[in-house]
Amino acid sequence: MNFKLVARITGMTLLLEAVTMLLPMFVGMLYGETPVPFLLSIAITAAVGFALMMGFRKADHSFYAREGFFTVGLIWVLFGAFGALPFQFCGYFNHYIDCFFETISGFTTTGATILTEIESLPKGILFWRSFTHWLGGMGVLVLTTALLPFLGLSSNFLIRAESPGPVKSKLVPRAAQSSLILYSIYLGLTLLEVLFLKIAGMNWFDAFNHSMATAGTGGFSTRSASVAAYGSPVIEVIITVFMLLFSVNFSIYFLIITGRVKQALKSDELRFFLCVVAFAILVITWNIRDMYETVSVSLRLAAFQVASVISTTGFVTADFDKWPVLSKMLLVVLMFVGACAGSTGGGMKCSRILVLYRTCKREVRSIVHPRAVTVVRLDGAPLPERTIQTTGCFFVIYIFLTFCMSLVVGLDNFSFTTTLTSVITCISNVGPGLDVVGPTGNFQSLSMLSKLVLSFAMVLGRLEMYPILVLFSRSAWSRF
Amino acid sequence: MIIAGAGKVGATVAEQLTAEGHDVTIVDLSEEITTRRSNQLDVMCIKGNCSSRETLLEAGAVDTDVLIATTESDELNLLCCYCGHRLGIPHTVARVREISYIDEIETLKRDLNITMIVNPEHATAVEISRMLRFPNAANVDTFARGQVELVAFHVQQGDFICDHAIMDVSRRIQNVPFLFCAVERGSEAFIPNGRSVLKQGDKVYIAGTPNGIHEFFHMLGRQAHKIRRAFIIGGGRICFYLLAELERLGMSCKVVEKDAARCRTLSEAFPRATIIHGDGTDPELLSEERISAADAFIALTNRDEDNLIISLYAHQEKVPKVVAKSSHQNYTSIARSAGVESVVSPKLTTAAQILQLIRGIQNSKGNTMTALYRIASNQAEAMQFRVTSDARFLGTPLKELRSRLREGILIAVIVRNNEVIIPQGSTTLEAGDEVIVVAKDSGIIDLDDIYQS
Repeated sequence: MNFKLVARITGMTLLLEAVTMLLPMFVGMLYGETPVPFLLSIAITAAVGFALMMGFRKADHSFYAREGFFTVGLIWVLFGAFGALPFQFCGYFNHYIDCFFETISGFTTTGATILTEIESLPKGILFWRSFTHWLGGMGVLVLTTALLPFLGLSSNFLIRAESPGPVKSKLVPRAAQSSLILYSIYLGLTLLEVLFLKIAGMNWFDAFNHSMATAGTGGFSTRSASVAAYGSPVIEVIITVFMLLFSVNFSIYFLIITGRVKQALKSDELRFFLCVVAFAILVITWNIRDMYETVSVSLRLAAFQVASVISTTGFVTADFDKWPVLSKMLLVVLMFVGACAGSTGGGMKCSRILVLYRTCKREVRSIVHPRAVTVVRLDGAPLPERTIQTTGCFFVIYIFLTFCMSLVVGLDNFSFTTTLTSVITCISNVGPGLDVVGPTGNFQSLSMLSKLVLSFAMVLGRLEMYPILVLFSRSAWSRF
Repeated sequence: MIIAGAGKVGATVAEQLTAEGHDVTIVDLSEEITTRRSNQLDVMCIKGNCSSRETLLEAGAVDTDVLIATTESDELNLLCCYCGHRLGIPHTVARVREISYIDEIETLKRDLNITMIVNPEHATAVEISRMLRFPNAANVDTFARGQVELVAFHVQQGDFICDHAIMDVSRRIQNVPFLFCAVERGSEAFIPNGRSVLKQGDKVYIAGTPNGIHEFFHMLGRQAHKIRRAFIIGGGRICFYLLAELERLGMSCKVVEKDAARCRTLSEAFPRATIIHGDGTDPELLSEERISAADAFIALTNRDEDNLIISLYAHQEKVPKVVAKSSHQNYTSIARSAGVESVVSPKLTTAAQILQLIRGIQNSKGNTMTALYRIASNQAEAMQFRVTSDARFLGTPLKELRSRLREGILIAVIVRNNEVIIPQGSTTLEAGDEVIVVAKDSGIIDLDDIYQS
């Protein structure tokens, strides 16, 4: 392990984080708020970042897969730790762990909050919350590599470790340029949503905040009641559409922009995703038809909730905790499934589910035809056995860790539903769970230990397990 | 002597045995090899199956003292020795390299009446592990159950012994229990005396107690830093034995091997080692696996050329201890001149083992030679004798003996009642001692041979 270079890259990324804190500070100042909490945070973060960067100037440039994973894991934890500083200094939070939870929830685009009175917070702090979603959605290291191309070769390993999905492909030959293209698409879509929301009647501040939260598939709102607070069907529809847009693999947009629409629509994952969404909306609409006046209302609410959960955003317009069990179960299953690979969403990702399904199918087939040789395909191309193996392993780790962490959260002695869904919603980066942590609830009442464990779950889920697990591997820490 | 199978080891042993005045007959199945060997060496060559009675009789089995079976096949070697024994050959040596037989060696020896079973790969692995335990030294040989070591190192610019006569620096080192035994300079080797001047680049052999040698290295400023991480290229048989040795010493090992199936076998046998499937000659892979963090680098691929080049790469990456395997001796000097000090050769290691046995057999009546190492590129030998009561000049102080010793002979260390004595002028030889003698030329068979006749 090349610790020196890891430290140096960490330093640079922290400097970048300090720079990103300038934006919420200016927003706050625009509304006449004091910049002191941000100034303090920027000073501390920049100082640490600068020290790390200059202290390890002489690092040699050998940087490979394990350094990539290790760095990404480390940086995400540190990003949470330093990003929590503005919350800590603003005085609206009780404890540093709360701030850390909130920040991690932001960067991992979970949207689980410990706040009860969101409206009372200063505008700058609210903006920072949403901004963390936007930054975390595409990945802080993707941003770093896009802005700091001089990292050179190493960026390749960083992006591979940070970007969601089992199959990593570049859009263009250069990693830094790939990042730049992705960020442009991301920024463009976000601004488009801002425009739509503004036209639909939101003020600029709320429009920006909600757009950033949608873009990152986060789910922090500027209102305690989330999107329901606006009571506007138009806004709900706009957000539903954008949530789905942001949970599609971004390379599909790249294909569309470059005129390869046919190729884009051929994607197995996209078709699977759309089928699941359509199926879930229909079932839930039917299931909740008696609870609302008209079918169109049920349809709108079902669509919003389904989009919110499968994209792992976590906005709410209806208290689905009160829905029938079938709908609730379906939503929990959707939390596991998650968005498409290569999007900003969390969960296990549709492509993985698809690969697992096809692998299982092959397994059954091999019982009938023991000597059959079958290749598992995705988008028509055969998948390497190695990918299938990693995917299977990923699934097992996901389930295993979910249960392990549920055991720890179980110490708090909340209901079974609360305990299990709080972990599922965090590891899948959704936000709301059921019962105490449901759409109208929050994570405030959980113990500090649970909050730490859930923060851990969020980072695990966002980075898709491996980078964080690498941090705990003894061989990663050895220099040899 | 009959040597069955004249491959690399067989030919080397034949060459050395002929040089020591033994009559050697080579038996091999291949016409081509027998022809080649008879052109190279002054031996008799017979084409035929070495485990057939007729062939062995034709090779003169009736009045043969030693049969050495070094064919490609372990089973054939064992069978050959068995037949030899049946024909009345008193001593048989078989080469057995199959890993799964390693636990059976003692049983095989007893049941088939084989005098010695040699395993070149195992012997090489043991030699490498010994080198890793003494990272400062280019070579290490041990005597008297490890109480005495013979260690070689290269003189570097700035060492306090560099460009000084030995007697000038003797004051600094007089209380350190060790002795300068041999010096290899370029292609020459000599036994140093007080007036010898050590120069930069000399390979110097010193003998002494492990502590004494450690202390001397400390004075040289080459503190031995313990080797914990070993990087091995090539997962062949040597690697297998070496991993077993190194894991026992608690080192963490990383192996790069080209063949996926072989990687699996290694991983099955050594769960703690990191086995990497890849081309060990690829610098990209080596740096990804952080070769620079390794304490030792061992190149064991089948190609000497590859071993040499990647060892140079490791040397350049500042790996403190680099060991290269060389199956063809002619690369050893190139490797050394390029900075790779430690070169192992399975062929030479095995030949030395067999030679040692044969010399032991030869003088089983006189002062028994209990160990023999060839040093300084085979230009000198270090031998250990047990002194019997009928040895010459017992009780005579060494300073009086000096004039009687043959040219190029040094009495290096005496072990008496488990006490290591570095000889002074007044030291005497006594019956029951173990004495280590360094000789510039070969041919010493008995302790009495060290004196002028």
